[in-house]
Amino acid sequence: MAKQELNRRQFLKSGAIAVGAMVAVGAGVGYLQKVTTEQRINQKFLRPPGAIEEKTFIYACIKCGLCIQICPVHAIKFAGIKEGLAYGTPYIDARSQACDLSCDSIQCVETCPTAALYFVPFKNAGEKAIEKYDKTHAADPNYNPFPVQIKAMKRQVKMGLAKVNEETCLAVQGKGFKGIPRGTTFKGINRSPYGNAPKATPLRDKQYDEKICDVCVKECPMGEEALVLDKQNRADGSVAYSPKVLDGCVGCGVCVMVCPTEEPSIIVEPVKA
Amino acid sequence: MFGKKNMQSLPVKSKEEMPYTKVGLSFKAWREKFGGRHKWRTIRWAVLLGINGLFILSFALDLSMLEGSLSGSRLIGFYLMDPFNTLQQLIISFYTGHWVHLTMNFVIGAGTIFVFYFLMGGRTFCSWICPYHFLAEWGEKLHNYLVKKKKIEEHTYNQSLRYVFWVGFLLLAFFTQNIVFEDLNPVGILSRAMIYGPGLILLWILLLITFEIVYSKRFWCRYVCPVGATYSMVGQLSPLAVKFDLDKCAHCLDCQNVCLVPHELWFVERGKATSQRHDVGADCTRCGLCIDVCPGHALNYTIKGFDRIL
Repeated sequence: MAKQELNRRQFLKSGAIAVGAMVAVGAGVGYLQKVTTEQRINQKFLRPPGAIEEKTFIYACIKCGLCIQICPVHAIKFAGIKEGLAYGTPYIDARSQACDLSCDSIQCVETCPTAALYFVPFKNAGEKAIEKYDKTHAADPNYNPFPVQIKAMKRQVKMGLAKVNEETCLAVQGKGFKGIPRGTTFKGINRSPYGNAPKATPLRDKQYDEKICDVCVKECPMGEEALVLDKQNRADGSVAYSPKVLDGCVGCGVCVMVCPTEEPSIIVEPVKA
Repeated sequence: MFGKKNMQSLPVKSKEEMPYTKVGLSFKAWREKFGGRHKWRTIRWAVLLGINGLFILSFALDLSMLEGSLSGSRLIGFYLMDPFNTLQQLIISFYTGHWVHLTMNFVIGAGTIFVFYFLMGGRTFCSWICPYHFLAEWGEKLHNYLVKKKKIEEHTYNQSLRYVFWVGFLLLAFFTQNIVFEDLNPVGILSRAMIYGPGLILLWILLLITFEIVYSKRFWCRYVCPVGATYSMVGQLSPLAVKFDLDKCAHCLDCQNVCLVPHELWFVERGKATSQRHDVGADCTRCGLCIDVCPGHALNYTIKGFDRIL
């Protein structure tokens, strides 16, 4: 009996310590969560395509890394411990490798088991696009709905919105660009203009010779619906150029990756939920 | 654990009935001759390293065999989900309404893991797959050495502490709206560190293993880990178990010394067993260390019900 009493006491004592420890962890987590979520939104923390709002994302993501593994261009990376509670969640560092939307079906969204990257809108968007397409092309025997579906799905990606920094942008200053945008050692890749080419050309193998720099406009995976080089005639007869971001921008960050200036003259601001 | 209080213990064996006298050896010689094999440990370590290696190779070489990490993965396209993550996820998402978006793959993954570990014995995961268990096994060896040299003292706690933590972490997930445990979970941390490259978070693992070595043996696995606790609930009625045969036991207690959960081997002590045969309970990780170490082959794997038919 005495031994049982001792056991009970010991259990109560260690149980109390355990509960105390967890309350402390809970308080710490609550604080970290508050601080780091705001920090991340302010620091242009770019989530993979289809990421749901940050507050929900933080519990919906179980940090399994399936999206990281499936990305064909390895754009998605693990957040480090300095991101606080976002440790282990996926993010995209657009400057070193952007999501170029070149995959067949935005696989990262498709592979996510917990809908932290949300699947349903993509699927619906694709199916709706096929329905529409069917009616107008019902007679055409050679029609392929797949590209239409992919395009429709890509339009649904809203990771953020590009924003041009007019102080450093070469085009705004009327300057051209000649050479390799990010140097010969840069490892980034943009496959999208070439579709799903079996072997995509790395950025370091591409030469540019532009009278007015429009590298971002040329490389943009969404093409003319997202980014155009805007021309405006000034009063003195000269032409003012500037890259103009349109509604079709999905925030993939390819423009950030290819920008030849030392600090990117165009950045992607994540959508604020 | 069940029914052990009200049952009458069997009478203690006489010296002639002991297994070592039956083969005409002294106790010491018998123990040295037949104990201390490493058959199951070798198999187990091969499986553990093989599965974790497959995770690493799948990412490094783009094999698409076993993608993801131990918190959620795909085995040749077939989803698998960590059960405690699943629980935390469900609790939060039922509260916030996110559950309607959870995919069929999530359900398949959680269901597969539940059924598989129900059949294979719950905490089988711990000793056969968990990378932290592998690390802690070596930590345990070092700890035992230090205790033997009288450098440190042994500290033990009540095993039920795990369930306090289990409930606590679920509540914590609910109140903070975050799967908090995944930030502390050495299983996930180690798995990710191995597959995607190490990070500063490994200091937490270092802290845990140091605490286990210098203060309390297998502290995390025994008293904290809610993943293990979940698996032990899943495997509560599992058919795969370790069975105990009283006839072959000489009560040397070698098995209790190597066991991660020695309270489950209560019946090997002299005069404690209530029947000729016992099955080890749900906390057992089916690691096979006791099977290897037992000189009389009194412990062995069994499929409950099945072996009686055979």
